[in-house]
Amino acid sequence: MNKVRTLLIVDDIDINRAILADIFEDEYGILEASDGREALDALEKNPDIAAVLLDLLMPGMNGLDVLAEMNKNKKIERIPVFLITAADSEEMLMEGYHLGAVDIISKPFMRYFLKHRISNVIELYAHRNDLEMIVAEQVEQLNQMNQAMVETLANVIEFRDGESGEHVKRICGLTRILMNQVSSMFPEYRMPKEEIEKIVMASILHDVGKISIPDRVLNKPGRLTAEEFEIMKQHPVKGCEMLQNIPAVMDRGIYDYSYDICRHHHERWDGRGYPDGLVGDDITIWAQVVSLADVYDALTAKRVYKDAFSHEKAVQMIFGGECGAFNPRVLKAFEAVADRVREKKWMSHQLQKNESLPGRTEG
Amino acid sequence: MTLTEELGTLGVDVEGALKRLNGNAALYERLLGTFPKTLREHYVDPDFDGNDYGTTTEMAHAIKGTSGNLSITPVYEAYTKIVNLLRGGQPEEARQVLKEVLPVQEEILACIERHMQQ
Repeated sequence: MNKVRTLLIVDDIDINRAILADIFEDEYGILEASDGREALDALEKNPDIAAVLLDLLMPGMNGLDVLAEMNKNKKIERIPVFLITAADSEEMLMEGYHLGAVDIISKPFMRYFLKHRISNVIELYAHRNDLEMIVAEQVEQLNQMNQAMVETLANVIEFRDGESGEHVKRICGLTRILMNQVSSMFPEYRMPKEEIEKIVMASILHDVGKISIPDRVLNKPGRLTAEEFEIMKQHPVKGCEMLQNIPAVMDRGIYDYSYDICRHHHERWDGRGYPDGLVGDDITIWAQVVSLADVYDALTAKRVYKDAFSHEKAVQMIFGGECGAFNPRVLKAFEAVADRVREKKWMSHQLQKNESLPGRTEG
Repeated sequence: MTLTEELGTLGVDVEGALKRLNGNAALYERLLGTFPKTLREHYVDPDFDGNDYGTTTEMAHAIKGTSGNLSITPVYEAYTKIVNLLRGGQPEEARQVLKEVLPVQEEILACIERHMQQ
């Protein structure tokens, strides 16, 4: 059953290699190396190596050097290494363990125990490696399901609110550019790329609550009355109520970002936003970023109640405080990427079908 | 006498070695045939430098491991002592053990080489 697996035996003395090979050759393919350099070459050329039996004291590159290299290229995480020793110094063995060796093989070899100990560990590693692969595949499937579900919801919103059109897709692009810029400019807002991609995905659902807003308000061509505006202002809370019904089928991270963005993308830095009237950094940075992206896109897109403003005019209005109050650091980041945003804007109007969603390659 | 019978009279634990090799006598004899070469390549000179013996320790260590695996017990036990003494900073005591084992070692080597030539 294990015949396809390979053991790499590394020892400068051929007698020791021959004895170990004899012990294992019925069950494993055997590769031999007489020094550290040969061992690393063998590891590079043979991805199916299941374990390494490694002598510590060898001329040239010794066993500890091999272990250090396997740490660098991370092979130590996947391949168990056994140290071959004839009672080497305690310090060397400790260093070997520190570098990730799993066990010690003492000379003279004891055939029966050696065979079982090594086979057991190989089985464990193989099982663990298999499990990791299965988990990675399942996570990938889940991510695809999440993406499909979020995109479906986004399509529903667009269908319901014909004006928005490609709005949510443009919000994704703007959110990605702005989040990356904020994260790289300000250490207090620094975030890993994977989290930023989750935020981008979550931004799609910022207006999901608009589904619950009556047509007469949502698609009204003219200015909203005070009463109608109060109805419109309910969409963040309504959206959160909808999201609360689906957390179990969404990735937890994306769900949390979606909920927060949905609820707080109409908050303002000065506390005069809605629905909670949060002030300053009580509003999460991702909600602040989506808020700015939303305002910019609303200004530069044509709506039933207004024409599209130019990029320059929209930027001027945002910095002039005509469209809300924003975090000065977010505005600085926006200023830094304004040219890229203008290009993106042009791209999104010209090539709307190619606009990238999270998880797809951004142009 | 066969090679293994004669080695038995020189203190080699033939039974233990065969157990390690799963009773494979042919393999044991083949490995014994390469032992003289290994010893020569890792020869520990009794006139080693008493102030600088790092390489000497490594050579002795190699002989210890190999002789242990082949159950050449007199050599294995002597080199175990030598390695321990060298690592313990007692080169002169190690030199003494080495001088005592060399004739035994030579006798075992001569026995192996004689049989290999036949």
